[in-house]
Amino acid sequence: MLKPKGFTTKIIHTPYAKEDVNHALHQPIYSNAAYDFESAEQMELAFQGRLPVHAYSRITNPTVENFELRIKQITGALNVTALSSGMAAVSNVIFLLASAGTNIIASRHLFGNTYVFLESTIREFGIETRFCDLTNQEEVKANIDSNTVAIFVETITNPQLEVVDLKSLSQTAHEQNIPLIADSTLTPPNVFNAKDFGVDIEVISSTKCISGGGTSIGGLIIDYGTFSWSKSKKLAILTKKFGPYAFNYKLRREIFRNLGACMSPFAAYLQSLGLETLQMRFEKAAINCRELARFLEEQPQVTAVNYPGKEGSTFHEISELQFGDYPGAMLTFDFATREACFTFMNNLELIRRATNVYDNKTLILHPASTIYCDFDRETREALHVYDTTLRLSLGIEDLEDLKSDLLQALNKTE
Amino acid sequence: MGSILVNGKAQEVEVPVSLIELIRNNKVEQPEMVSIQVNGEFVDRDSFETTQINANDEVDFLYFMGGGSRC
Repeated sequence: MLKPKGFTTKIIHTPYAKEDVNHALHQPIYSNAAYDFESAEQMELAFQGRLPVHAYSRITNPTVENFELRIKQITGALNVTALSSGMAAVSNVIFLLASAGTNIIASRHLFGNTYVFLESTIREFGIETRFCDLTNQEEVKANIDSNTVAIFVETITNPQLEVVDLKSLSQTAHEQNIPLIADSTLTPPNVFNAKDFGVDIEVISSTKCISGGGTSIGGLIIDYGTFSWSKSKKLAILTKKFGPYAFNYKLRREIFRNLGACMSPFAAYLQSLGLETLQMRFEKAAINCRELARFLEEQPQVTAVNYPGKEGSTFHEISELQFGDYPGAMLTFDFATREACFTFMNNLELIRRATNVYDNKTLILHPASTIYCDFDRETREALHVYDTTLRLSLGIEDLEDLKSDLLQALNKTE
Repeated sequence: MGSILVNGKAQEVEVPVSLIELIRNNKVEQPEMVSIQVNGEFVDRDSFETTQINANDEVDFLYFMGGGSRC
């Protein structure tokens, strides 16, 4: 068979792990829990990992595996694990690498739930997160010590839209024998090749663009096999036996299996379908974003527009280097007051008021009063989340319809 | 002939034998998905044809497949 080279061709023509008995053109949904074995001996071999068969769907499942294989095809990863959500992906990775007395390096500019997980949840397990400016390598180095087990970064932070130079950050991490974990949810694999920028473990909320635009909840852990786990105190012993598979072994055999946050077969089916059109959908949404950033900048009621692809943005150059022509499909913009933000939102007719990002529908949100409502104003402002800012996640509608909706709402906003 | 351990069980085989022959002889399922350890060290997939197995070697066929391992 001709070996596909193109992103979408690779997805669509990823072979099944096993031939389907009915030659179905889409991997069927296996919604069962358990699988039968021909003999006790076969069962023993399967549990030892010496037979390529499934035993129990919390651990592996044919439909989920097909989705994972597709992600593996387009990323060139060593191993891919699909989970029940993006936060399940983040928490599984952190619990795998960290233990009481260790620390993680991260920016405070993070998705709100990730921030609370790192700042509060894992602290109760004795794991510290050292927050610092990841764009400043000297500050990063100053925070690393012998108990640092990982650096965690978002490729574009949400909602600050900050972009870190990942090659520099990975160099800092690797010089200190630490893996770099990147959440690339806002820059899907068709625009960002994590391995090229020194990312060792990539986590993605596949709920967003990959799922087909918010069709279902899911997450991914993508292990590139680039980090030498012999340098990890926690994985050094496993590395002696499993070499580059040590991370995956620990994940599959212990953390993922025991935390139980597996992706459902139905979600995997939807996300596999979504993946097939990812490139087309995301490029359209990213173009909508670029055009609407320009459009909003021209509007007198709008006091600021933040979008890493915008000429003059602090992150324009590094965005172009890392994400090419499509530096995300999300922007933020400001009005003079919080009241103006609410008035504008309430007058939108096509654009939906919702908390997800990268749906096929364009979604708007006031971050300070919603995803950051648990923080006091001082903390929010320290996180660069302001009362005057709105977040717009672009969908795949036709540009002129979006412009019309924005314009009519702007005309009703002081 | 020589004795080797395959997945923990003794086998008498003509030695030396290449890994690729061993895969065929043992009817390893989904060989494109299998990872192989020889004496505890993983062997690069590109080296399956050239890696020779000798008497007293230990060979393990493992599946780290799909998104991840089955083990």
